[in-house]
Amino acid sequence: MNTATKTLITRGIVKLIKQPQTPLMGFAMSLFFLLVYNAGIGGIGDLDVFGKGQYFAFIFPITIISLSMGSSAGAGQALNADLQSGYFRRLYLSPVSRWVLVMAPMLADTISSILFTGILLGIGAIFGLPFQFGILSVFGILLLSMLWSVTLCGFSAGIMLRTGQYQNAAIITNAVFPLLFLSTTFLPRELIKAKWLLTVSWGNPVTYILEANRYLLGGTASVNYFYISLAVLVTTSILSVVYAQISARKIKVWI
Amino acid sequence: MTFEIQVKNLTKKYPNGIKALNGVDLQIKKGHLFALLGPNGAGKSTLVRILTTLIHKDSGSFSIGGISPEHNFSQMQKYIGVALQDNELDPNETVVSLLRFQGQLFGMTNKQAQARAERLIDLFKLNTEQNKKAGKLSGGNKRRLHCALALVHKPKVLFLDEPTVGMDPQARHMFWDVITDLNTNEKVTILLTTQYLEEADKYASEMAMIIDGNIQYTGDIAKFKDMMHPNKNTSLEESYLTYLNTLTNIENN
Repeated sequence: MNTATKTLITRGIVKLIKQPQTPLMGFAMSLFFLLVYNAGIGGIGDLDVFGKGQYFAFIFPITIISLSMGSSAGAGQALNADLQSGYFRRLYLSPVSRWVLVMAPMLADTISSILFTGILLGIGAIFGLPFQFGILSVFGILLLSMLWSVTLCGFSAGIMLRTGQYQNAAIITNAVFPLLFLSTTFLPRELIKAKWLLTVSWGNPVTYILEANRYLLGGTASVNYFYISLAVLVTTSILSVVYAQISARKIKVWI
Repeated sequence: MTFEIQVKNLTKKYPNGIKALNGVDLQIKKGHLFALLGPNGAGKSTLVRILTTLIHKDSGSFSIGGISPEHNFSQMQKYIGVALQDNELDPNETVVSLLRFQGQLFGMTNKQAQARAERLIDLFKLNTEQNKKAGKLSGGNKRRLHCALALVHKPKVLFLDEPTVGMDPQARHMFWDVITDLNTNEKVTILLTTQYLEEADKYASEMAMIIDGNIQYTGDIAKFKDMMHPNKNTSLEESYLTYLNTLTNIENN
């Protein structure tokens, strides 16, 4: 990584530290979900299907998923701020590749997302969150979180670059939001009675991410979910980065 | 003859159908301060934006310092410095941090970038403003910072698109001191577009007149003035107006 690339990524991170509203909102939203869901329906955790971590470990993955969703618009908004001020042109005229100009805020956002996931896991550990495979579970969750974050950041940045409207950076969050409820978010498959929901949940990528996290935490899901989740997220991350890069070429039209 | 900027048959048509450039040919000698003149919408900014790689050409070719952007984009960006009409500043960063960051973007170490930032702050007399955020600067100081940013990496060719708009006379004077020093002592080639013709008259040696995307005249400013008003010591502005009036009369007839 050359000096210019490091400089751009550092700038993205410093900007997030100086203006932390977006990642902090994501973090606050995640803690809110954890608190409300656990307080509201945590009592059902006595059922055997929730395993040793009880409902807390079962519901915890949704906080990790919603964390990335809450902050994924950051990359698009950072790009938009530079485009609106005209500063993007100044960056564009530097010897840094176009690829890096778009990747830097995405990477900064992803690093922020990993950091906050780590903090969430720390908070979880304090409240007795089990880690089925110890430190390996932590690394596994951070890896899934990173790929999920890259997926959301890339699509968010790409949409923003194509439309030039910062409001559109949040479209991807809004699009993914319903997927949280069309999955095994609140109850395990065994307790879901609606057949249509069960069917939809099979085709919902969020299901595999949730279950993969549950495998790593309370051990209440099969290892296959982890592999499927990894495959899905690697694919979506690549697609997302490619989409952002293709979108970056469109900037010239309206620069 | 060494040409620092070579443009061959450059064309550009915008999606709305406007033909901004109709086969522009231009050659600018190394170390010259060259003025690109023409009325609003004539194609000056389009030409500058193509030469600085901000927008794509439709056809034709160009090279700067022998470098073609298609072949070595990164080297080209290091070779040129650009100050466009709009202030391209991050409003939330201070003067010194923007200059330092610009240096780092061009591969300088922290120490080198800091030293270069301090030098340019001195040169453009931004000392009292160096810790102010760019968004809080006056219009004139924004322009100065904007031009300072274009010089951070010591470019060999400098593009100045309406550089002194919004500057007070004192700031303009100071600005031109810096630019003429670069041009004279460091042999930096400068392509200037401006509507302040007295500035072009005073500081540039050669010019091109572009109208409706066509280069109508290219050569010495002194010869252009002599062509318009033989044996009279007229200003560039008078000659320029005479030229445009003549064209209008020809079109009307």
